[in-house]
Amino acid sequence: MHEINSRSAPSGDFSKVKCIEGFECIQAEYSAYLTDESKLSARPFDYLFFPKSEAELAAVMAELHRRNIPMTFAGARTGLVGGCVPQEGALISLEHLDQVQAVYRDPASAEWRVKAQTSVSLKNLDGMLRVKQFPGLEQNPDPVVAQGLRDFREDPNQYFYPPDPTEMSASLGGSVVTNASGARTYRYGPTRAWVRGIRVFLADGEYLDIPRGKYFASPGGQFVVWNTQGVASTITIPDYPQPRTKSATGFYAAPQMDLIDLFIGSEGTLGVVTSVDVALLKREEKVSIIQFLDSDEQAVQLAEAMRAESRLQLDFLEFYSGNALNLLRELQKVEPSTVGMPAIPDDARGAIFFEMSFDPHAEELEYAALEEVIASCGASLERSWAGYESRELDRFKVFRHMVPETINSILAERKKQYPGIHKLGTDMAVPDGHLQEMWQLYKSRCEELNLEWYAFGHIGNNHIHVNILPRNMDDLNNGMQLYAAFARKAVELGGSVSAEHGIGKIKSKFLQYMFTPGQIQQMRRVKEALDPKGILNPNDIFPAEVHP
Amino acid sequence: MKIVVCVKQVPEVTNVQVDPATGTLIREGVKSILNPFCEYALDHAVRLKQAFDNISISAITMGPPQARDVLLRCLELGADEGILVTDRKFAGADTWATALTLAEAIRTAVPDFDLILVGKQAIDGDTAQVGPEIAEILGLAQITYGVEVNLSSSRKQVRVTQEVERGYEVVEAALPALVTCSKGEVVRRAPSFKDVLQARKKLIRTIWADAIAIPEGQLGLQGSFTQVVKVFPPPAKKTNTILQNLEVEKAAQEIFSFLKEKRFL
Repeated sequence: MHEINSRSAPSGDFSKVKCIEGFECIQAEYSAYLTDESKLSARPFDYLFFPKSEAELAAVMAELHRRNIPMTFAGARTGLVGGCVPQEGALISLEHLDQVQAVYRDPASAEWRVKAQTSVSLKNLDGMLRVKQFPGLEQNPDPVVAQGLRDFREDPNQYFYPPDPTEMSASLGGSVVTNASGARTYRYGPTRAWVRGIRVFLADGEYLDIPRGKYFASPGGQFVVWNTQGVASTITIPDYPQPRTKSATGFYAAPQMDLIDLFIGSEGTLGVVTSVDVALLKREEKVSIIQFLDSDEQAVQLAEAMRAESRLQLDFLEFYSGNALNLLRELQKVEPSTVGMPAIPDDARGAIFFEMSFDPHAEELEYAALEEVIASCGASLERSWAGYESRELDRFKVFRHMVPETINSILAERKKQYPGIHKLGTDMAVPDGHLQEMWQLYKSRCEELNLEWYAFGHIGNNHIHVNILPRNMDDLNNGMQLYAAFARKAVELGGSVSAEHGIGKIKSKFLQYMFTPGQIQQMRRVKEALDPKGILNPNDIFPAEVHP
Repeated sequence: MKIVVCVKQVPEVTNVQVDPATGTLIREGVKSILNPFCEYALDHAVRLKQAFDNISISAITMGPPQARDVLLRCLELGADEGILVTDRKFAGADTWATALTLAEAIRTAVPDFDLILVGKQAIDGDTAQVGPEIAEILGLAQITYGVEVNLSSSRKQVRVTQEVERGYEVVEAALPALVTCSKGEVVRRAPSFKDVLQARKKLIRTIWADAIAIPEGQLGLQGSFTQVVKVFPPPAKKTNTILQNLEVEKAAQEIFSFLKEKRFL
């Protein structure tokens, strides 16, 4: 089926929705809403709304649509590309849509699922799943919901939501509209792979319920959306191929694709997701291992060897460059407890961090494949750290975040002297077989220009984050040129310019590296079909000057 | 030279909730860990082993069968063997019955020990009694609140930097002796994965009640002089006063009056 009908939400009273009017007032009392983790600054906008229900949201959207007022949507504001930073019109914060609505077993797939409103945070969801307590569901009068909760609690297994996009304060809906990924994408794929249904409000305040597996593009590559007035909008799916890597660049498109995939990763430019159904997976015991190595190149070599070893099933495969380890060593010199781990071995010049299944109570542990592959790269498991208790897994995870967090704090200090500088963090992924080539380019060019840089991240997906820290404006200019060169190279190798952070407002100029003007035009037509007035998340994905 | 480290398995968090109806701890979802002070004791033992030749470390715990997990952790971190003292007859032991059982188990399993290291207390019971009681039962010199533990070059004495109220004192005792430890490594050690794998190949001995020369009446609940009658959280502190739904001027006036009344102004 490629035709779908939108519905009217229960009518809410626009006049009763909490609204802050006037940029001065918003600036003075709601300054947190002026930016996100990208630190992009908002341009003056007029309204800040806090709808408490879908009905209120629908009322706001219908009214703003009628008045042609652009609307930007904010979830937890943890994005890195300024997607929710308003540039005009109204900002609508979805923070009050924060309830888990059901936990249920889907009979067809035999999987446990959670249905939740958009602003449930990933951290809270994880906490609720761990203890199987869902405030709000306990007193739900719906007998089906109550039975689902009882059944879930009676299931002796523990379950979790696999996508782990590092920033656990992110909202579930935000992670869906950005198709967030992270370390565990290595094994479990991006968020898209776990979304089973969404409710999405369109520009005029009507909504679509889209379960996965129901609405597919016609053989001619089209969807038709009928609104309650009987007016049809036809969406023509772009015909560009997807890169052979993880990607958060532009709209997803594929022949006879599922309609749900068009909205996942669309960064709120086609509609606003208010509720999602996501699948859960049985939780297993894991061991985290940080393997210290002699060089960055040995780390790259080991990552490729581990990936090629079919007997190893890793949850994630991450990288620390030698200079990133030095950064942490410096912290340890000042205060040994800051990093939360023992002293990093003096001879470690690079490291690989990975996680795999582990039974601490097994009589014998069989890890011959791991020992072999590590030995084949000239490394030894004796030079590793391992942990499997939950407190250990937690501190290893904190250690993983230490590098980017330290970089951000260094840069915040530096900005005091050079307000114009900012971090240049690459987010490019390349297809298998090109990791070494890309790594050599990163390292050689950063060293040639004598830049301060550190590298870390998702080496298992050929997706290393290179962070350049400008020390002055010359460094910034050199770094920006380098960034563009890296983006071009990633695309030339068949990769993605933005593998996980998305495009938002900050990276819209890179869209043209990956797509031809004709392909960008196809994307714009999709946007025009669903949002003819161009009022949803203006300036996101599409650069302002070519915005429809 | 043989060092015995006594360890205990404790709940991972110190703020475990108490079920108001039964007065018992709610243990669901709470993981168990090696008591941090016991880990300090083990850390001192491992340091001595790294500094001196021919030292072997035996980690010993009394508890239910799952207490084996903390012995595994000790083996990963450098202990050479584990000793699990477990039997239903040990259940309900207070500090005295625990110390008596552990002392006898040490006498049985490591009769030629030179040094016993223990944590100063467990983070669940917080009694700090078991270590000193073991020393008394075994007739050993004891040094409490140790933060640094060294051996003399002759290995006949242990030299301990001890926390006291006004700072530190360095005291020595002839071996065999017992030291309770209140500090150790700054950051928890992390074993290598090789250590984790090899720990599974090390010996964990099990000692049951019938292997210990103590009459049954002195074990577990029966042998305990104290019993827990009731467990309850301390009464909640008085809550703060929150002024809300007031005009700004009225709220300011209320705060001003409060500060005046309490003589802050």
